[in-house]
Amino acid sequence: MSHEGHYREAHPLIFVVTHWINLVCMIGLAFTGFYIHYPFFAGFMYGARAIHFLLMFVIIINLACRIILAFWVKTANQLGTRETDIDLKNWLPQKENKYQFMETVKYYTFFRNTRVISAKYGALQKIAYLATPIITLFMAYTGFALYTPAHSWAIWPFFAAGVSFFGGAMGIRIAHYFGMWVVILFTMVHAYLAAIDGFKPLWGLIFLWRETPGDEH
Amino acid sequence: MAQEARAEFTELLAARGVSRRDFLKYCGSVAALLGMSEMYAPQIAAAVGKLQPALWMAHGLCTGCTESMAQVDNPDVPTVVLDLLSVNYWETVMAAAGTQAEDNVAATVAAGGYVLIVEGSVMLGENGNVLRIGGKPGIEELKTVAAKAAAVIAVGSCAVDGGWVAGAPNIANATGVSKFLKDSGINVPVINLPTCPVNPEWVVAMLVDVLLMGELADGSILKKLDDMGRPKLIFGSTIHDNCPRRGHFENGEFVVFGSPTQAADEAAGWCLYQMGCKGPTTQTNCPLVRWNHRSSWCVEAGSPCIGCGNANPITGGPGNWFDASAPFLTRHADVRLPGIGGVQPSTIGAVVGGVAAVGLVAHGLGSAAKGRVKGVPTETQKVHDAKMASKGGDK
Amino acid sequence: MARVTIDPVTRIEGHLRVEVEVDNGVIKDAWVSGGLYRGMETVLLGRAPADAFYVAQRICGVCPISHGHASTMGSEAAMGIKIPNNARIIRNIIEGAEALHSHILWFYTLTALDYVDVVSALSANIADTYALAEAAGTSTADFGAIQKRLKGFVEGGQLSIFTNGYWGHPAMKLSPELNLIAVAHYLEALEMQSEAAAIIAVMGGKFPHFMTSLPGGTVWIPTEQKLDDIYFRWQKVSNWINGAMIPDTIAIAAQYLPLAGYGKGVGNYLAWGVYDDKSMDPTKRAMPRGMLMGGLTLTQPDPAKIKEYIDHSWYESGDGLNPSVGETKAKFDAYSTDAKYSWVKAPRYDDKPVEVGPLSRMLVAYVAGDPDVKGLVDFTLAALGKAAGAAGPLPVTALQSLLGRVGARNLEAAFVAKKMGAWITELIDAVKGGDSTYFVDKSGEGEGAGLWEAPRGALGHWVGVKGGKISSYQVVTPSTWDCSPRDKNNVRGPMEEALVGTPIADPTKPLEALRIVHSFDP
Ligand code: HEM
Ligand code: HEM
Ligand code: HEM
Ligand code: SF4
Ligand code: SF4
Repeated sequence: MSHEGHYREAHPLIFVVTHWINLVCMIGLAFTGFYIHYPFFAGFMYGARAIHFLLMFVIIINLACRIILAFWVKTANQLGTRETDIDLKNWLPQKENKYQFMETVKYYTFFRNTRVISAKYGALQKIAYLATPIITLFMAYTGFALYTPAHSWAIWPFFAAGVSFFGGAMGIRIAHYFGMWVVILFTMVHAYLAAIDGFKPLWGLIFLWRETPGDEH
Repeated sequence: MAQEARAEFTELLAARGVSRRDFLKYCGSVAALLGMSEMYAPQIAAAVGKLQPALWMAHGLCTGCTESMAQVDNPDVPTVVLDLLSVNYWETVMAAAGTQAEDNVAATVAAGGYVLIVEGSVMLGENGNVLRIGGKPGIEELKTVAAKAAAVIAVGSCAVDGGWVAGAPNIANATGVSKFLKDSGINVPVINLPTCPVNPEWVVAMLVDVLLMGELADGSILKKLDDMGRPKLIFGSTIHDNCPRRGHFENGEFVVFGSPTQAADEAAGWCLYQMGCKGPTTQTNCPLVRWNHRSSWCVEAGSPCIGCGNANPITGGPGNWFDASAPFLTRHADVRLPGIGGVQPSTIGAVVGGVAAVGLVAHGLGSAAKGRVKGVPTETQKVHDAKMASKGGDK
Repeated sequence: MARVTIDPVTRIEGHLRVEVEVDNGVIKDAWVSGGLYRGMETVLLGRAPADAFYVAQRICGVCPISHGHASTMGSEAAMGIKIPNNARIIRNIIEGAEALHSHILWFYTLTALDYVDVVSALSANIADTYALAEAAGTSTADFGAIQKRLKGFVEGGQLSIFTNGYWGHPAMKLSPELNLIAVAHYLEALEMQSEAAAIIAVMGGKFPHFMTSLPGGTVWIPTEQKLDDIYFRWQKVSNWINGAMIPDTIAIAAQYLPLAGYGKGVGNYLAWGVYDDKSMDPTKRAMPRGMLMGGLTLTQPDPAKIKEYIDHSWYESGDGLNPSVGETKAKFDAYSTDAKYSWVKAPRYDDKPVEVGPLSRMLVAYVAGDPDVKGLVDFTLAALGKAAGAAGPLPVTALQSLLGRVGARNLEAAFVAKKMGAWITELIDAVKGGDSTYFVDKSGEGEGAGLWEAPRGALGHWVGVKGGKISSYQVVTPSTWDCSPRDKNNVRGPMEEALVGTPIADPTKPLEALRIVHSFDP
């Protein structure tokens, strides 16, 4: 359990909302995606596709909002503090992350026993979080590419390039499918770390916007 | 001008014992196939003058595409080979053989202006000797003949990208005509008509549309082709989008192998998606044009589409439909892993996911063993700062 | 001595080169070279058995059904699957439709041009043509219109596929009128073969390369409408075979009786048998399994006695292996009739070359005493005996010749057409009787062989299945038997042997050699 306080400044309400949307959409997309891949019970294909198509728009809009908000919402710049800074700064890698990277790896591979001092997000976290918009965009790109070979779309050539890159309609489908596994892996590790780093305070904050005061600071 | 051409053409038809009405009827059906209205028929007819010379060359083939051509009825085979084209070489059906057959090729090449139709994979293995024609590697003749052609039509998936022959491990080193000609520096327009075998209706549609309507001469044909050299009208939408079973797909009604209701569900025309149908990933108009005088097609007969129209002329060999779709009875194609062979993406996903889950549990146990559950003290100074401090700098 | 080379041999499936040595107008020696290697057996390794069913058909686009069925049967044998009765009947009908399609196409489109002089038909007298057709008992057509169309075509100067044929060759013996009848039926045949193929399309999705006989049974489920459809198409084809093809065969054969005097070949015949009956016992197949070695004594073939030699073929894998443990490793060096000269291996039974095909099947069935086959053969031999002016029918041994090989194929078409009617009825009865099992979903492991018949002869797919995937695959096609090169002991293959002794009137136009080659339908 971490010893820093978990204050709302670290995670303003709007980000609790965007995070919830992320979570719900990802679970929904993965479930319906699995179903589309292999309809393991009868009678739901129309529903599965409808939900998949709905959620895919929601998650893309949510991602756009989250990115725009990062430019002007302020979030805590440190663990356990109420001091804030522009959120984007907390996201983008800073110079000192370079020095923390190996130390963080050592911590998680049990080669050191104390936590690494970090900004709001540690070095690995930043990499992981920056990867989420990229993988979401990847899913959106591959998803639209297999939506239909709609040569009538004006921007179709943009997707056609991807289709031929992945070696045809089957290739892009498999890429989209593997993308789902990347999302699942991310979520597994992500939830696990959030759990071992302090289940109650972290999950409380991210889902319920509940503060937990720190031991010391 | 057009009037003149028309009169001349009517004469030509009459000389061949074909009535103008019959011909228009036939042209009408081709036009309909191409999505054009019947009013274009007179224009098609007017475009036909002297018989268009053509050579039909057999490479790494099973003769299925020629066989398939014998299954066309509108126009029927005699019309194609007697009234539309002068097919001066076509191994499987021509009268001449040996020297006399080779003479036909030489004479046609010398005269030029012919259409070259290629059936079968281009065979590169053993320096081209896996296919020997006239005592030489087949590719030598292909180069000579293609260089002088007005246009090339690659019929069937084998000619488009090597087909199943190029399936892993592509032991005989097969590729497609487009790729081969490009690699050999021969610049001729290639029209690709995949599926295994080719659907004959597409071939005659192309012959009329492209060659007889003069679309080759003015280059307008190229605009009707997609980035893979396939006519967009034929290969522009997926089988899934035009499938009569689509309603059952949306309703989630699927035929399942080995289920007690398999036969009943098939009789009810349920969707074959769960049997691995490649309709969603295959772009041809099979459900509309169908096969053998429109008597049926794969899905109608109860088999999932195996994606035989998925050919990639740009990559050649590795794009072949066999590897793009097999195993046919599963949703996804296998991914080929070096040293292991074909593996299903779902297996890879499940294995990686399982390994990660085990890893996390192990990590959790490790953390518990290390006593991290109770909380871990944070370092008091960053390691980097400490190093810098000991060096006496960076404050 | 002169070497005559025919390359390409046309009007066949695939690529073939034939070299013959002609001395005094007779062939003294012959070499047959297969020109193409694609590697099907290797491509199928590691694939699912169902994939093998779909793809193995691409070995030959003229007989894909037989390859599909042999592949499926090989996998089923390996996995221990017994197919439902309905699937058996459905497969028989599809297989039979292919045989009708193939035989019609072969006789009229591929072979007829060796015997029928298209140009001579131009000088036929129309009234005489009708009279002749009536006398021969063959169906008539609008002979006048056909002749006119032909005239326009020839006068147009662009002969298309007829350019440079052996027109006016001294070995062409038909009267202009009979030529015109044959040309008319050449055009009709195109429609008929395609009608037969449509039966396959209805039951298998398309032809060539059908889709439904997956290992385990069939995925095609008959409906009343579809059964009507195939019945109607079968009836049309069947009537035409009996009304045109058979009378044509007898009328044309009567003009070519000397062809019964050469082209016998090796005189060993093998048939794996085709069209299973309820018992699934291969000796009880409608075309039964059997073997005739040297004489006309029926024995049962033992697949273990097959060896494939590669001494004259461009491979470097093991020599003299049984197909169940066969290997295929290509290695081209040079073409030389003294050393290696073919992509075809040389299969031998008990170290002897063996002919396969309709002649083998008909002889086996004849000796086995099948009443339908006996009836057809005896009727034909009697008719030809009469044409020859002999006292009685020609002897059965007359079948062991070029003429017999051609005729046997057409007679078989009539036999299959008759059987198909019975199978369609059998299927209708089974469906009405409430049998609704078409497929068994089962997997297993092991090794098996699908020993079956393509229209052009005995076909075997040897399949090993392990862990749901193909672990070994070897195919011995009919053309491998018939077009095989010499073996380890320098013994000629069946087609090579049949060429020896054939007269050649004009070495620059080796029409007679082509006839021999075409009679095997390679
Ligand atoms: C059981 C599921 C999950 C749990 C317990 C969880 C927990 C957390 C926690 C504790 C944080 C840190 C918040 C902070 O300190 O700012 C966080 C942030 C984040 N999570 Fe999750 N999360 C879950 C699922 C997901 C999913 C499915 C995604 C989507 C891809 C996702 C994307 C993110 C992102 C991008 C952040 C960075 C902060 C932000 O966007 O506001 N999470 N999550
Ligand atoms: C973000 C934008 C996304 C878009 C535009 C999108 C779009 C699509 C589309 C169009 C399909 C094909 C549906 C069909 O063929 O009827 C599909 C399938 C699928 N999607 Fe998505 N999707 C998105 C995100 C996701 C995410 C985030 C996941 C998983 C976490 C996912 C998992 C799947 C899976 C597993 C399939 C089935 C693939 C197959 O086996 O063919 N998708 N998606
Ligand atoms: C007081 C200390 C810490 C707090 C409050 C804390 C909190 C968090 C939170 C809220 C997350 C987001 C949820 C998640 O992604 O797991 C997270 C993730 C992460 N933390 Fe920590 N953490 C602390 C210390 C550390 C330390 C010392 C390290 C490394 C040495 C570390 C490495 C990571 C990594 C790599 C992730 C991202 C994993 C991912 O999202 O895939 N954390 N931590
Ligand atoms: S049968 Fe195939 S093409 Fe037809 S709806 Fe189902 S998945 Fe699509
Ligand atoms: S439906 Fe599919 S398998 Fe059948 S011919 Fe068309 S593309 Fe090929």
